[in-house]
Amino acid sequence: MTAAWARRVWVENLMGTTVSIHVIGTADDTTPDAVAASIEELRDLERVFSPFLPDSDVSRIRRGEAAIASADPRVAQVAQGCVEAAQATGGLFDAWWQGWFDPTGYVKGWAVDAVARRHLAPLIRRPGIVAIGIGAGGDLRLHTAPGADWTWHIGIADPERPGAVLATVDVREGAVATSGTAERGAHIVDPRTGAPATAVRSATVVAPDLVTADVWATAAVVAGDLGWIGRAPSTTGMLVRDDGSTRRWTRGVEISLAAAS
Amino acid sequence: MKKIVYGALATLSGLVLLFSYRTSLGENLVPTPTTGAPGGAATAPTGPTDATTGGASSAGAGGASTAGTSLQDGTYTGGVAQTPYGAVQVRVTVSGGRLTAVDVPQYPNGTPRDAQINQYAVPQLVSETTSAQNAQIDMVSGATFTSEGYLQSLQSALDQAAP
Repeated sequence: MTAAWARRVWVENLMGTTVSIHVIGTADDTTPDAVAASIEELRDLERVFSPFLPDSDVSRIRRGEAAIASADPRVAQVAQGCVEAAQATGGLFDAWWQGWFDPTGYVKGWAVDAVARRHLAPLIRRPGIVAIGIGAGGDLRLHTAPGADWTWHIGIADPERPGAVLATVDVREGAVATSGTAERGAHIVDPRTGAPATAVRSATVVAPDLVTADVWATAAVVAGDLGWIGRAPSTTGMLVRDDGSTRRWTRGVEISLAAAS
Repeated sequence: MKKIVYGALATLSGLVLLFSYRTSLGENLVPTPTTGAPGGAATAPTGPTDATTGGASSAGAGGASTAGTSLQDGTYTGGVAQTPYGAVQVRVTVSGGRLTAVDVPQYPNGTPRDAQINQYAVPQLVSETTSAQNAQIDMVSGATFTSEGYLQSLQSALDQAAP
């Protein structure tokens, strides 16, 4: 179905996770520069936004030593995005729920989107390159040259079985984000109550950009159901509920498919 | 003749059973077959139908349903669902007994962004595929891979598999 293209992969540890960049097709000598520029920009964003680095802008804002308006200008940009995300999700996503500004749940998707747009997406216009994908901690941004014989076959991790795939979804252009409780007892807190959201083990959202996918994947875990799909921007995705059952939707319409038994 | 009728019944029951769309407004839609369902198009069920009841009863009558392998090849188009951002219609393609595509042939007038969304396929459960281990995976989306988690992840294996 898809031609056998060459693939080059770069892997880097940063932002508390591992970033993978895949280039499909024939990488030319500008490709490593674009990858290096991507990694450098992500490291720079980590210096600004990491809540674990005491000197980051976000840490200084939390301690009251800086204000959003006086910090790195990208902080205000992210803060504005967080305000919009809180409004769009009706508070299912809220960077201020703890009483201070913690954009951790927003920044990864935003940063990967920005880096992909600036440094990686232009690569698909180079001769020989058919597609690029960047993944950071399970959040993916994918670009494919128009008309190229390529589709990304994305695995959705099984939240119960590390290393196993529960479902697949094909994407040529867009983003895939998964939120949930799969790893090391990590949990997502319902910002409206402060209690852990437990009805959904993981939520995967496919959207045109990673900010949308990431925000709504988190919101879906908090919501615990699909009541939101009609008022969200149109997305496609899948929930894995705490009993292991799944629910899927596309463009605000739930799809239920059951084989006869 | 009797055999033909049974065939059509089996096809229809398969449809009702297999494809049930519930919109965000809680409306039930019963898809109608458009191609690849012999005898089905002329007598497609109309109006909301209880998917479970319809499927269970006619599966007995038609006798064509077997566990896990009853997806009938063809393209099936659902009814039009009204969503807050416009009318949405979903088309499902089954090939070789597996769900191969979910398209949205009707979506609200809008931007190229809408057209792009239209291309997204719905996630397909590995259990629905005939050969899970053959599903070629390029990258993996999962919840919060820390660097430690990454080392045990499929993504790590995929990254290493590339030359």
